[in-house]
Amino acid sequence: MTATLERPDGTVAAPKRPPRWWLLLGKDKMAAVAAVVLGLVLLTALAGPLLLGDAATRQDLDASLRPPSFDHGITGLLGTDILGRSVLARLVEAAGTTLSVAMPAVLFSLVVGSAIGMWAGYHGGRRENIAMRVADVILSFPSLLLAVVVLYVFTPSVANIVFILALARIPIYLRTARAEAAELKSRLFVDAARTFGTASWPTIYRHILPIAMPTLLTVATLDFCFVMLSESSLSFLGIGIQPPDVSWGLMVAQGRQFLQTAWWIAVLPGVAIVLTTVSATILAAWVRLATDPAQRWRLTLPTSKRGKRRVTTEVTA
Amino acid sequence: MLSSVPTRRRTRALTALLAAALLPASACAVANSDGAGDAGAADGSTLRIVLAQEPPTLEPCESSLTSTGVVVRSNISEPLIERDPTTGELDPLLATGWRQTSPTTWTFDIRSGVRFHSGAPFTAEDAAFSIDRAVNSDLACNVDGYVFEDEKLGVEATSPTSLTVTTVEPDPILPLRLSFVEIVPRGTSTEAKVREPVGTGPYAIAGWQTGVSITLHRNENYWGEQPAFPVVRYVWRSESSVRAAMIAKGEADLSTGLDPEDATEENSIAYPNNETTALRLDGTQAPLDDIRVRKAIGLVIDRQAIARTLFDGLGEPAAQLVPDGVVGYNPALQAQAPDHEAARALIEQARADGVPLDREITLVARNDQFPRVAETAEALQYQLAQLGLNVRILMTDTAAHLQYQLRPFPENVGPVALLIMHGNQAGDAAFTTSQYLVSDGPQSTFGTPELDARIDDAERLSGQARQDAFAAVLADQNETVAQYAYLAHMRGLLGIGDSVEYEPNPATGDELRLAAVRPAKGQGR
Amino acid sequence: MTTFLRKRIVSSAIPLVVVVLGVFILARLTGNPVDLYLPLSATAEQRAAFSAEHGFDQPILVQLWDYLGQVVQLDFGESLRTGQPAAEMVLEAFPATLQLAAVTMLIAIVGAVLIGSLAAYRPNSLADRTSSFLSMTAASIPDFWFAIMGVLVFGVSLGILPTSGVTGGPEVWVLPIATLLIRPFGVLVQVVRGSMVAALSAPYVKVARGKGASEKRVVFGHALRNATMPVLTVAGDLTIGLVNGAVVVETIFGWPGIGKLMIDSILQRDFAVLQAAVLLTAVTIFLLNILIDVCYALLDARVRQAVPA
Repeated sequence: MTATLERPDGTVAAPKRPPRWWLLLGKDKMAAVAAVVLGLVLLTALAGPLLLGDAATRQDLDASLRPPSFDHGITGLLGTDILGRSVLARLVEAAGTTLSVAMPAVLFSLVVGSAIGMWAGYHGGRRENIAMRVADVILSFPSLLLAVVVLYVFTPSVANIVFILALARIPIYLRTARAEAAELKSRLFVDAARTFGTASWPTIYRHILPIAMPTLLTVATLDFCFVMLSESSLSFLGIGIQPPDVSWGLMVAQGRQFLQTAWWIAVLPGVAIVLTTVSATILAAWVRLATDPAQRWRLTLPTSKRGKRRVTTEVTA
Repeated sequence: MLSSVPTRRRTRALTALLAAALLPASACAVANSDGAGDAGAADGSTLRIVLAQEPPTLEPCESSLTSTGVVVRSNISEPLIERDPTTGELDPLLATGWRQTSPTTWTFDIRSGVRFHSGAPFTAEDAAFSIDRAVNSDLACNVDGYVFEDEKLGVEATSPTSLTVTTVEPDPILPLRLSFVEIVPRGTSTEAKVREPVGTGPYAIAGWQTGVSITLHRNENYWGEQPAFPVVRYVWRSESSVRAAMIAKGEADLSTGLDPEDATEENSIAYPNNETTALRLDGTQAPLDDIRVRKAIGLVIDRQAIARTLFDGLGEPAAQLVPDGVVGYNPALQAQAPDHEAARALIEQARADGVPLDREITLVARNDQFPRVAETAEALQYQLAQLGLNVRILMTDTAAHLQYQLRPFPENVGPVALLIMHGNQAGDAAFTTSQYLVSDGPQSTFGTPELDARIDDAERLSGQARQDAFAAVLADQNETVAQYAYLAHMRGLLGIGDSVEYEPNPATGDELRLAAVRPAKGQGR
Repeated sequence: MTTFLRKRIVSSAIPLVVVVLGVFILARLTGNPVDLYLPLSATAEQRAAFSAEHGFDQPILVQLWDYLGQVVQLDFGESLRTGQPAAEMVLEAFPATLQLAAVTMLIAIVGAVLIGSLAAYRPNSLADRTSSFLSMTAASIPDFWFAIMGVLVFGVSLGILPTSGVTGGPEVWVLPIATLLIRPFGVLVQVVRGSMVAALSAPYVKVARGKGASEKRVVFGHALRNATMPVLTVAGDLTIGLVNGAVVVETIFGWPGIGKLMIDSILQRDFAVLQAAVLLTAVTIFLLNILIDVCYALLDARVRQAVPA
């Protein structure tokens, strides 16, 4: 299953044949920008809190609701919230929390859902039936309400939020993966593997996973956005990330009351969510093209004039 | 993929199937097209009010619940006596007079010539029935618990215009308590609560479209002065900004509970709403069982800054649980600026005595308790952290908050600092002390026998002696018990459009008297 | 076809039972509602009487057994909050949400097919990039944020739409639907685009072009038909997800639907209403899933054999 995790990173960080991937990325300006934005978000989430110290939690009720300006140093650049905390520092602090909710939730549902789905689709019969009915059960609960109930019963800690958001999304991967596996298992190469006595998991891993992967990854990127928004909706309903922790979703939810009077509190974290998810989607679309031999040539289409012939030959070679 | 040809017809069939499934659903709309919005047209004959939530019921014996009382009280049904929310005086309503005829007996003169909406005449029998129903029945009415503390009353109609009420113990404020009992006609169910009651009030229920609106029509046979608006319509929106938008747009004339950031001078009026916010410190759990720690918390909270910033200047820093105007309010107790040095000194003493100061304290607050409650909790957490205390915030919904608020308290949850908002609707400190201060009070975590005794004595007194005794009780609590670290006496914001005139009073949030709302002058309505 | 349908319905009945059990137990875990419904100073006897009246004093399995016995007789209990029959409250609220969801999905699917196809027709063109970017942005805007901005801008500042409510002409539908629409629309545009890019480069499209079919016919006739399956799957999931959006939209706009009813009954520990509402939603989702399966089966005969018995 580790291949599932390595792959999206691998295409960006390019462990095997770096020049080619970097060149391809350079050809697609939007994908390049998206990669840079995502890189910045990651960097911010990792290094930001170290630089800012306690600026994200330091309150000053006399500095409440200051608009963005250059008058109060770096921390005052994007204004302050109602408690006089620096919005910039909170955005940075929130990046870490947001990613540490969204990424585990997406990865967890991706791995578990895909594994069960492919297993069910590959074997068919009763195993498939049971897996699909479990998916039906989860899907039949409105996920937001399920989250609210569960988080009232158990405390709304980050781990619980991750778990419940992941649980709600498992059926999506399960169904997608099952459909792919069910179709692939009758194909010649899978049949051949089975005939030669290969066990089921190696077959799934070697023959089904690589083909199902692009679709699953696309769903995962869309889900990245879904998870962030769900986390925000939970905060809107008062049951999301709990202070003093802060996430972008919580900032948008808490800031909504100030939309008329202090726009920066709700709008800036909203922009952060939009930028991150749009970048992730663009990059995922690019990765999907770049990893699909039948589609890869599209990346070489001229978005700029220079060097198109060389890359074309190199890629199609 | 399949070859595309054979599926062509099927795709068409599929499209038709989908369309067939979707269209009937959208053909019959919930929206009926009178083009005027939920609250009705701005035609001058309808008063349109937007509430924060739909009343769960209009049962009169539940009217001490804010969301029910704000519609029912003195509009649909009326009590025998009403309390003037500004002066605290008791005024006659369905009773024309009352007197204490023995230490445990009160006699009430019942108004004649009053009819219920159903047309039935109102007599002392109905009054006796209503009191019996609210207080002595198995309905478990909120009024019963809140106002009477399950004291059982003997009620008898001695003639159609005379009623006697007897209590077990002498009760000097029985008329005040009875001002919470709304009168319903005999025949109203005593087995179940009624959703749409009949009363004697200036308005009768004309319709309740669940989830959408409640419509009241003027009672043309009302015994008193006719109110200005023939029709009143209530709608509800949970977002304050939407309520404010409805006022701004002219879709509603009045709105309860606006948040400060949605309010402007044109669209709202601030009024003291009798609510007081405070932290209730659980004195049974370390480190909060040490009075020095509790006092240090009281000293370190910057209630001035919280009131100024988080409550937008609408709160007045508090040093006791009841606001000015309530019997027992102690004018000598005034909120002080935070004193960090004194607080730290107390904490150091406690630390030296081995009090476990690093034990995690849970600060419990309720979503939507008051505007900016989450931010207030964060401010408190920050200020207590400066004292070296380890505080965790737990935001809950109403049900979970009640578990922390009421006896029996949850066990094994460690030390709890509960953010409470106490509204003394009745105007007498006895309603506060019996709940929040006595050792075994339903909302009190602990107390002292000495304070209990003083409260017991104060409850038997009346007049100036009562005022002085309760004022002393409140001062004593701060000195010897310190169960509460106060925040502020709150003020509410009433959204008001320019088409109506209304002067809010301290009771407006609990009881919005429609008869007091008039069309604005110069509106030609 | 009938056999397939019958099998599908029978095999889906078990999940419905599990849903009923699940919501019943989860609801009980949120605590006894006695404090919410009794006066602050209710005596221990009153609490006990309240618990006994509503069966909360019984072991959870006994409660569950009693409840199932009632449900079989189509008795869903009464609301603690209003005293009305739970089934009545749920059925009253349901059409409001269904209409909202149906109109939203109709607009989302039609709009996404048009815009997605247009974008896929020339991949990486300006039109493609613009529509992709806008749809991605739409899919990542928090819905409550969008709703409140809509009220402030179109309701108050411009004054061209009512701020909220359900009473009025078609204009009251605009903001709730727009709020509910942004996410499914944004996602669907991308899915349609993706499927269409693949379909338009497939051999049969080249064949169709070679035969001299018009471009309109190539795109909407040949390619779109083959791109329908993934779009259908995602549209189904998004429709189910609309219940989440409905909670937010109905809360903000005062729309008397089932989303608001569910969240209120959770907050009020109104178990009977919550159970009835979740059950009805689950039945709807179940029917929707069958409808999608039927569509699949019609679209692709192979699925009929592949669907497990």
